[in-house]
Amino acid sequence: MDVDVIFRPESQQQVFRMLLEAISRPGTIQKLPEAFHQSRASMAVLATLLDAEVKLADPYALLPQRAWPMLQAVASSPEHCDYLICEGSIAPDFTPRLGTLSCPDESATIILDVESLNGKAVQLRLTGPGIDGEVSVGIDGLHGDWLAARQSWVATFPLGVDMVITDGDQILGLPRTTRMEVN
Amino acid sequence: MTNKRNEHRHPDRSGNLECLMQVDKEKLKELVARLTEGWRTGPISLPQAGLGLLKLQDSAFHEPFYPGEFPVSSAHLFVSPPEGGEFEGAAMMMCDDVAFVEALAMCDAILTHGLPGYDEIMQQVSEGESIRRNEAKSRSAMLVKTRVDFSLLQDAGE
Repeated sequence: MDVDVIFRPESQQQVFRMLLEAISRPGTIQKLPEAFHQSRASMAVLATLLDAEVKLADPYALLPQRAWPMLQAVASSPEHCDYLICEGSIAPDFTPRLGTLSCPDESATIILDVESLNGKAVQLRLTGPGIDGEVSVGIDGLHGDWLAARQSWVATFPLGVDMVITDGDQILGLPRTTRMEVN
Repeated sequence: MTNKRNEHRHPDRSGNLECLMQVDKEKLKELVARLTEGWRTGPISLPQAGLGLLKLQDSAFHEPFYPGEFPVSSAHLFVSPPEGGEFEGAAMMMCDDVAFVEALAMCDAILTHGLPGYDEIMQQVSEGESIRRNEAKSRSAMLVKTRVDFSLLQDAGE
């Protein structure tokens, strides 16, 4: 029986390695191998990170119904979930879990699907841990409200959210420690 | 196609799989592979193998205890024969062979929806049922042999 490539253990190990690289070196774009290209990068990230023990919110109904049993995650609201899958072009209208001072890790991770990570519409200048000096990324399909919302969510470190921004086949990590300015 | 076969279907759906667990694993896998050749099949949820934990309650203090772990595998899939349609089947068994449990889930789909191959799988169910019956018979024979007659103790006390 054929299982989609993103659900195979060896593929998930590859994606996990890329996520580690993306989160530890914010601003470096990780490109998924060609074998993964039949699924969007956001789906590969979800398949790698989720299991039956975590809660996922899909406020914009981006996931097809048949994806839920494969991902195994429990459906939840954006305010209570561990992971969120969102569309970059739609403004956020929720506040995710930001963790607590004693347990900042109990915050949400947002997987934000945008049109392109090699775009021009929004030019971001990133600085902070894991970045040598500064790095610029251009994103297409990112609603301006996401930048303001992220700014307010990470304002009280160590509380905040970590974000993984994806397009068709690429991954960009944006942990809470990364400072972001619009060029 | 479905209704006629459903009339003589095993009344207990999980009972079918219990019977199929008794037959030769490799033979059943080969049979299912042959029957579903050219069919479109795919998982609905990920097939998994792991360990289950048996939880019992002690009769003195009514507290839970765990006598041990057991292997458990599950599969939930769909099959789509060339005639058309998409049919679901599932199996969750005390077994560590995921490929075998996948084959059982396909058998479940074939039996439940009366798909082509129904009669051949049903033959395997009957074979498994007779193995199970014989095993139950020999177990009860062993049980009878080990029965202890406590009435003798009562006589000794007097």
